Amino acid sequence: MSTVQPKDDKTASKEKYGYFLGCVMPVKMPWAEKATLLVSKHLGLDFDYMKETLCCIRPGVWRAIDPDWWLTLTSQNLASAEKQKITLVDSCNGCYISHYETLKELKEEPDKMAMVNKNLAKIGMNLSGTLKVRHFLEVLYEDVGIDKIRANIKRPLKLKITRHLGCHARDRGNSPMPRYFDEILKATGLEIIDTPYDLTCCGLLYYFSDPNSAIYQRAGKKIETAQGLGVDAFVIICSGCYDQFERTVKIMSAEKGVKLDVPIVHLSEVLALAFGYKPEDFGMEYCRPIPTTKLIEKLKEEK
Amino acid sequence: MSNEKPPKSWTKLEETGKGLTDHKLEEEMRQNPWRRPFRAGAPDIAKASLKRDFEVGLVYYVGDDVEQDRALCGLDRKPPTAHLFKDALEKKKVLLDEVGVVKRLGFDKKKGKFEY
Repeated sequence: MSTVQPKDDKTASKEKYGYFLGCVMPVKMPWAEKATLLVSKHLGLDFDYMKETLCCIRPGVWRAIDPDWWLTLTSQNLASAEKQKITLVDSCNGCYISHYETLKELKEEPDKMAMVNKNLAKIGMNLSGTLKVRHFLEVLYEDVGIDKIRANIKRPLKLKITRHLGCHARDRGNSPMPRYFDEILKATGLEIIDTPYDLTCCGLLYYFSDPNSAIYQRAGKKIETAQGLGVDAFVIICSGCYDQFERTVKIMSAEKGVKLDVPIVHLSEVLALAFGYKPEDFGMEYCRPIPTTKLIEKLKEEK
Repeated sequence: MSNEKPPKSWTKLEETGKGLTDHKLEEEMRQNPWRRPFRAGAPDIAKASLKRDFEVGLVYYVGDDVEQDRALCGLDRKPPTAHLFKDALEKKKVLLDEVGVVKRLGFDKKKGKFEY
C-alpha cells in the first residue's frame, strides 16, 4: 500500500458522512468502493460506511407500482441514517434520486410523513426528516471544493476519455452536477472528448421491457463510440449505470462477438490515481469485464 | 419490444422467473377459458430480482466469489449492508408484509416462490 499524503490535511467539513453502497457497488465494483474510501479520507472528510443498508429502493420500479410502498421502504434507509447521525451520501444516481425525492416528498407532505411513520413504528423506527441526502459529486465539489481537489493532484493524468454522468444526476432542472463532474475530471488532467451520445440513458430500467434496444441502442452505442474514438477510458460515477454497462459488454461479446477494450472506470479511481495512489491500492486490475491492463501500462509509461 | 430475439441472458432471467411461479397463468387460462382473466402481480422478468430483494434485502447476493473480489481490492469480505446486518433485513421483511407488498405480488415466503 502506498502512502500518499494529502496536500492540505485540514478537515474539509465537520459533517459526518455515511456512504450508502447500494446493491451494485459492493458486489460488482469493489475497486470503486475502495477508491471512494481512499479519496474521501485523503481529502480530509469524516467519511465512512453507512451501516445496515438495504436496496434504495429503485424509484423507476417501485414508485410506478405503488408510491406508498416506495416511500415506506425507502424511509427505512433514511430513518437508519438519521439514527446513525450521518449525512447520507450516494454515488449511484438511482439511490440518490430515491433518497432525495422521498425525503423531499415527505417533508412537503405531512400526511405522507405520518403514513410512513405509522409503518416505521411497526419496526421500532421513526423518521423526523432532519437528515441530509447528498450526491458524492456534491460532497466533492461543494464541501471539499475544486481548489482543494486541484491542490491534491500529484500526478496529472494525460489521458483521453469519454464520460457518462447518468440521467438522475442531471434531471433536477438546472442541476449543477454535469458541471461538477466535468470540472473534477478536468482537474485531474484528463481530456474529455464529447460525443453525440453523452446525454443518452444507459438503458438500465429499459432492459426489462426491451432488452435489445437497451443494450444495442443505449449502453452499447455509448461504449462503441468510446472505442471508435480510441479513448483510454470511459468514466462513470453511477453504479446503477455500471450494472447496465457491464451487462452490455458481456452480451455484446457473447452474442455478437464484439470485443470492447475501453475500460469502464469510476470517478473515484481517476481521483485516486491523480492523487498518487497506485492501481493496486484499490484493486483496479481485478474483477471487471474489460481489463484495465492497457490503461495501467500507459500510466506506468507516463512516469 | 423490438422484433429481434432477446439476448440469451434475458431469456434465462425470464425462464428463472417462470420457474419461480407456482401456477402457470397462461396454461391455466387455456385450461379454464371461462375464468375471468387477471394479471400476475409481478412480471416473470422481474421475479428473480424481487425474490433476492425480499430474501436478502438487496438485489445481489454476496457469495464466495464476491467475497474474494472484495478481499482482492482491500475491503472486508462482507459489505456493511443487510448482507451483514440481518436485523435490518428482518425489519424490511416486516415492512414488506405490513404495507402489503408480499400479498399483492403473491410471494410465498416459505416456498420462496410467487403464486402467479
